[in-house]
Parts: sequence; C-alpha cells; structure tokens
Amino acid sequence: MEEGPTTGTSSGAHTHRRLVDAQEQAAATREILEALGRAGAEPGEVLDTIIDRAARMCRADAAQLYLGEDGTFRLSRVAGFVPEEFRRHQQEHPMAMGRDSLLGRVALDRTTQQIADVLADPDYGRHDLQHLAGYRSLLSAPMILDGEVIGILSVWRTQARPFDEGEVDLISTFASQAAIVLRQVELVAALEARSQELAANVRQLEVLREIGDAVSSSLDLEEVLGEIVSGAVRLTGADGGSIMEYDTAADCFLVRATAGGTEDLTARLRELRIARSTSPVGRSAVERSTLEITDLAAVPRDEHLDVLHADGWRSLLAVPLVRRDQLVGALVIRRRSSGGFAAETPELLQTFANQSGLAIVNARLYGELDTKRAELEVASRHKSEFLASMSHELRTPLNAVIGFSEVLLDRLFGDLNQRQEEYLRDIWASGKHLLELLNEILDLSKVEAGRMVLEPSLVSVQACLDYVLSLVRERAASHGIELGLEVADDVGIVWADELRLKQVVLNLVSNAVKFTPDGGRVEVHAERDDGDVLVRVTDTGVGVPPEDRERIFESFQQGRRSTPQEEGTGLGLTLSRRIVALFGGTLWLEPQSDAGGSTFTLRLPLPRIEAAGGSGAAGERTVLLVDDDRASLDLMTAYLSATPVRALHARDGLEALALARTASPVAVVLDIRLPRMDGWEVLTRLKADPVTRSIPVVVVSIVDERQRGLRLGASAYLLKPVRREDLLEALDVPGLGAGLDPVGGGVS
Amino acid sequence: MSPRVLVVEDNALNLKLVRDVLQHAGYDVAAATTGELGLASAASEPPDLVLLDLQLPGIDGHETLRRLRDGVLADGVPVVAVTALAMAEDRDRARSAGFDGYLEKPISPRSLPGQVERFLAGGGS
Repeated sequence: MEEGPTTGTSSGAHTHRRLVDAQEQAAATREILEALGRAGAEPGEVLDTIIDRAARMCRADAAQLYLGEDGTFRLSRVAGFVPEEFRRHQQEHPMAMGRDSLLGRVALDRTTQQIADVLADPDYGRHDLQHLAGYRSLLSAPMILDGEVIGILSVWRTQARPFDEGEVDLISTFASQAAIVLRQVELVAALEARSQELAANVRQLEVLREIGDAVSSSLDLEEVLGEIVSGAVRLTGADGGSIMEYDTAADCFLVRATAGGTEDLTARLRELRIARSTSPVGRSAVERSTLEITDLAAVPRDEHLDVLHADGWRSLLAVPLVRRDQLVGALVIRRRSSGGFAAETPELLQTFANQSGLAIVNARLYGELDTKRAELEVASRHKSEFLASMSHELRTPLNAVIGFSEVLLDRLFGDLNQRQEEYLRDIWASGKHLLELLNEILDLSKVEAGRMVLEPSLVSVQACLDYVLSLVRERAASHGIELGLEVADDVGIVWADELRLKQVVLNLVSNAVKFTPDGGRVEVHAERDDGDVLVRVTDTGVGVPPEDRERIFESFQQGRRSTPQEEGTGLGLTLSRRIVALFGGTLWLEPQSDAGGSTFTLRLPLPRIEAAGGSGAAGERTVLLVDDDRASLDLMTAYLSATPVRALHARDGLEALALARTASPVAVVLDIRLPRMDGWEVLTRLKADPVTRSIPVVVVSIVDERQRGLRLGASAYLLKPVRREDLLEALDVPGLGAGLDPVGGGVS
Repeated sequence: MSPRVLVVEDNALNLKLVRDVLQHAGYDVAAATTGELGLASAASEPPDLVLLDLQLPGIDGHETLRRLRDGVLADGVPVVAVTALAMAEDRDRARSAGFDGYLEKPISPRSLPGQVERFLAGGGS
C-alpha cells in the first residue's frame, strides 16, 4: 500500500491502516517490555528488538542506533540492510552536530525530523555517506535522558518516499524506549563498578575479618585456632606453627591447632602432654615471657622439642596466651632453618596470641553454656513427661473415685442416710477438684513447653457466653446469685479456639460466682472496641485489694479474697492469662471501683477473616461468598481475584449471618442448600435485619426458583454453574459502580 | 433377652464401674482387661456392642478392633472407642480407623446407659 504526504486512498482504507498500525505498535511495545522484564535480559538484546521493530513498523529499509560520545554520535547497532562500508565508516567516524546531516540537526534541535529526499535537500552535505548507503528518505529521533541527547534512532528508505505522521510518532516512541533501556544499562554498570570497588575493600579486610568473626562467633574452637595459627605463620614468614591450650585440670599444655606440617607431625603433636614446669615452652609461658630457640639441635629438648627436631624443624618462637591474668596456652611458630627471628616478630606474634586467648576463653564459656542448656532441656523434658504421665496415672483412679461416688449418690444401689450422702458429696467434690487441678497443671505445662496447639475457628461470642453461663447457672441459683448476660449487637464472631475460649470465660465466671456472697449478682458483658472484642465479667463480691491485682495471676495465689473454705486451684487465672496471650489478647483485673466487687476484662483481637490472598483488614471492601462446597468457593474467589474486592468465605447459614453482620461486605453471594440454616432463611433474615438489609444479595444455586429469590429481596438470581461474567455483572464489578460502593448501596 | 455389652478396659476399677452401671441398667455385661481376652470373650459369647479402650497393654485398641472385625464379630455390631485422649484429631482418627463411635473418659455413670442405648440403636455418639 502506497502512502504519501498527499492522501489518495479512501478514508476507510486509511482508518483501517491506522487500526492495524495501532495494533502492531501495541504488540511491539509489549514485546519490548517483555524483553526488558525478562530476568537477566541483555540490554543489547532489548535494543536490537527496539531497532528491529522500528525498521519494520516505519516500513524502512534499515535502522541504526547511534550513541552520544562527547558531543558526537557513534553508530552502535543496526537492523535491516546496512552496507558494510557505511557501517565501518560510521563506527570509525562519529557524526558531529550540524545542519549538514539529519543526525546533526536532530542532535542540535532535540526533535524528531526527516528529510524527504536527501538528493533534493539543498542543505544536506553528507553525500559521501549517501553514496555508501544509497538512502533517499531519512527519519531520525533523539533519545533524551535527563534533558540530554544520549543517542539517536534513525531509519531510512532507499527510495524517496517521505515518512508519514504515524511513522514519525512511532520512531519517537521507540527512541524514548531505547533511552529507558540505556538508563538501565547505566544503572547496572554503576552498580557493578560500585560492587567491584567494595569487593576490593572487602578483600583487604578479609584476613582480619575471618579471624575476628571466627573468634567471636564460631563454635568450633579448633577451626578458629587453625585460622589464627595459619595467619600468624603467613604474616611472620615462618614455616609452621601450633597453638596449645593449657589444661588446668591435667596441669599441662595440649596442642589444639597446627599449621605448616605433615598430618603425621600434627598427629604426634596432638598426642603430647607438654608439662607446665619442666618443658621449655611451658616454663616460659608460665613466666609470661617469650621463648626464642635459634637452633633446636643445640639446646636441651623435652619430648615436644624432640618431636619437632626429629621432624626437621630448627628454630622456634613461643609466646604465652594470657587472658585476664590467667594462663590460657601458648602460640608457637617455627622454621626449618636455624637462626634468629626478626626483632618485630615477637610483637606481631603477640597480636595473634591475644586473639587465640580470646577464642579459647570464648569457647570455654560457650561450652559451659551449651552444657547448661542441654541439662535444662533434659530437665524440662523430664518435667513435661512427668506431668503428662502423672496426670494420666492420677486421672484414671480419680475417675473411679468420682464415678463410684456418683453411682452411690444417684442411689443406684440403695438409699443413703444424711451423713452418708454428705460424705459422698465431699468425696465427689474433692475428686472433681483434684481432677480440675490436674487438668490445669497439664494445660499450664503444655503452655510452658510451647506445646499447647490452638485450633482456631470462627466462634460466635453470644453462643460461647450462653454455653458458659449454662454451666454455672445451677450453682448460682443455689446461692441466690443473679446472672446477667449482655452482648452488644455488633459483637458477632471472633477467630479463636472455641474450647479454650470457653475454658477462660468459664474460669472467670465461676470465680465470680464463687467469690460473690449469696444474693449477689454476676454480670457478663461483651462489646466491640476498636475492632477488638471485650468480654467483661463483673461480680458483687469482696473484691481484690489493689496490692493483689497482679499477684492473683501468679500460680497458686488466690489473693486475699479467698476464704479458707473456698475451693480453687490457684492456677485458673494464671492459665487463663497464658491462654489469652496465645490468642494474642490480654486479660486483666480492672481497678476496684467504689461499688466494690471486681471486674475482669478479656480483650480478644480483631477477628482474622479468611480471605482470598491474605487476611482482611478493616475498611477493606469484601464480598461474602456463602457456599458449603469448597470447590465452588474457590472458583468464585478466583473470579473475584482480578477485582479490587476481597472474597470472604462462609460455609453455612449461621456463619453467613454472623459474617454479614460483622464484616460489612459490599455484597453477598448466597447458595441455597446450606448446612445449619438454608439460603432462603439466610436471605429472609438478612433482609429483615436493619444492619444487613441494604447489602445486595446474589443467589447462586442449582435450585431454579428465581421468582422466590427475587421476592425475598435477592438482587440477582444465577444458576450454577455460574460464569465469571455473569457473576461480575450481577455484582456490578466491571464498572465498580454503585453495587460495590459501600456508601452507594444496592445493585440496581 | 437383654443386649450383651463387651467392655474391654485395663483398669480394674473403671471396668467394675462400667460393668456395675450397665448391669444396673439391665445389660448383660462381659468384661475383659486386655485385647486378647476381649477377642476370646467376643468369640465365645457374641456381644451386641463393644466398648473398647484404646490404650491397652499388649495389643492396643486399634489392633483389637481390626481382629474383632476380621471374622470375630457379626456384621453390624458397633464398636465404640473409649479414651482419655480428648483431642479432636484422636476423635477423627478413631472414626477413620473404623470405630462406630467415641466415648471420652471420664465416663459418667449418669449418662453412660443412655449413650449405650443410642449406640445399640445405631445412633452414634
């Protein structure tokens, strides 16, 4: 298709061409971005991709990339057909700024320009280049970075056919992409230069660092000493050396590390027990002096020096290792030749000796610590095992005590007189008390051993408190104590281990009943505070003196509120506080008020809501998906994954109601066949509740009862299997319109 | 004729308690203190229900169950696991091991007859 500055083709074909261009350009841009994004992409490859696409998209015969170099531009890469002579010429002779070439003009003006036909341009002065390459129409765009022209992207045609507006735009785009690539290249190069510089510094510090690190941290003393002695030998120009540690118990020196010798020599040295007072090395170390032997053959030798002498060593220098005035060992360097050591060597050696002393002392401390920790671990394990087995062994007979007294109290085998019944009640109550104590000891030991595993789930606070109160109702009634329960409407559910939560609340409530005089009152109150749930247990009992407010949370402390006949394990509050801490919550006793009594408050953290891709945060827009089938939930969650809303899951009707109230979803997707409460009932209740009434509900079901659904207030009714588009349309997700706007309200 | 319940439990006192309570409630009770004795009893006097402790000396509850099911018990005779391991996972494990129900220790003499009645009726725990 021929395109010129004068439009001769029909406007329909022109539009079509524009469309194709736009599509191709988008594809090319995507390719370039992909090339850029590929891990370990070579910048050269990306630039080649760019100029190749530039040539093709601009319908040119060739493209070139020039890079700026001190105000001139040198050819860097080409695409399409570029004669070899031209390429060589341009690489050897960079282009200067000036009006005689298109490159020169672009560099000067910093704009994309073209020459429709170089042979017809009176100002064009580079006919030498034109001869080499044979181009007629030229198009060039500057690559600008931080206001500077860092390169030029250029294309040509060998026939005089000017570039159109679209092509001019294209080359500008490609030029700016190339500039971005070059910036990355620069960044990488700068990074590499910097890391090489750093590497050089690091190498210089390496020896010292190795030794320093090893001394302060390594557990393997011999490895550390090995490094030190090697360093000492290297730096003093000796042929070998060893470090010996003074063993206080055996009163002798033992070789712990060697350098520069055969394995055989090392083995023999390690077998030695070098006496403290009779060996030359030992004696000098004890005297804290340096020992220099210039010729081993000429001096009296102990076993140690004999071994060295026999192995061919002729001279040595030894310095003591001293740490805080304690003799720790000795450092020896040796040479195969006889003769004295340089004057500065003893001082240099002392540096290494200090390091060695430190390493040995550290290692000893570490060893002690390790032994202690191992002992503690064993003790702790024994304790846990003991508690677990004790608890089992004690529980079995206790169960018999409780069971038999229960059988008798129930008069299964005949009537009882008053005293018999009284005693049996005492046996039964004592058994129960012991069992409770055992269970709490076991729980506490589990918490302390870090072995209490929580099994969290969504728990209805109301149901939990109802249950707990039902357990103490009988006892409260027998003492004329009134029980009150008040759960604020917005409490809903929490994310907790239901069994443990009940255990904690039961402990608080039964304590309250226990310490409240006959005719008193115990109240349980639950509310939301800043997203957390607060449960407050208040009694009208004797209260706790201020000085005991913390003490009552310690093991076996009942505080002064207990009276001698009051039973209690003294572990309940300790255990409760530990369990609440495992939930991430807190438990405390409120300061005593003028009204008397005491109030314990339990703060449970924000419910963690199971949401797609992470936990839901407050204020996040969620869609509540209600389905008992995991696969359906996963599918719908996947449908929502590309939208800004999070999916929240409920697996049955009651959970759905609780979540709808607490999580304030922007919409509910509701299945009809659900456990515990079916979808029709859920829908009816959602629409009857002022809190949830305005939340749009989309029914997704295999049951085809559209009319019933819409009559009950559903905003849409979809049949399973549901398609993504249908679900999003029903939820009004594509437009993110009113339906998903928490303020905006319902779906139309 | 009253239903026969076989109780396998190694603690003699607990065994006695369960036996006495069930007898009082009108059941015919066979008692065994080990898995082997339980198998022998089941073979000679076929029970209508088995209460089987999981922690037994010698062959344990799971192995005893396997052998009971392997031709000793008539089809459809429920076997209920009895254990102090009050963990959800233990309950699930007992279920998947093929027990028909699960009784948690301590066994309450007050509720035991009712529970046994339900197991016999096939109601589960």
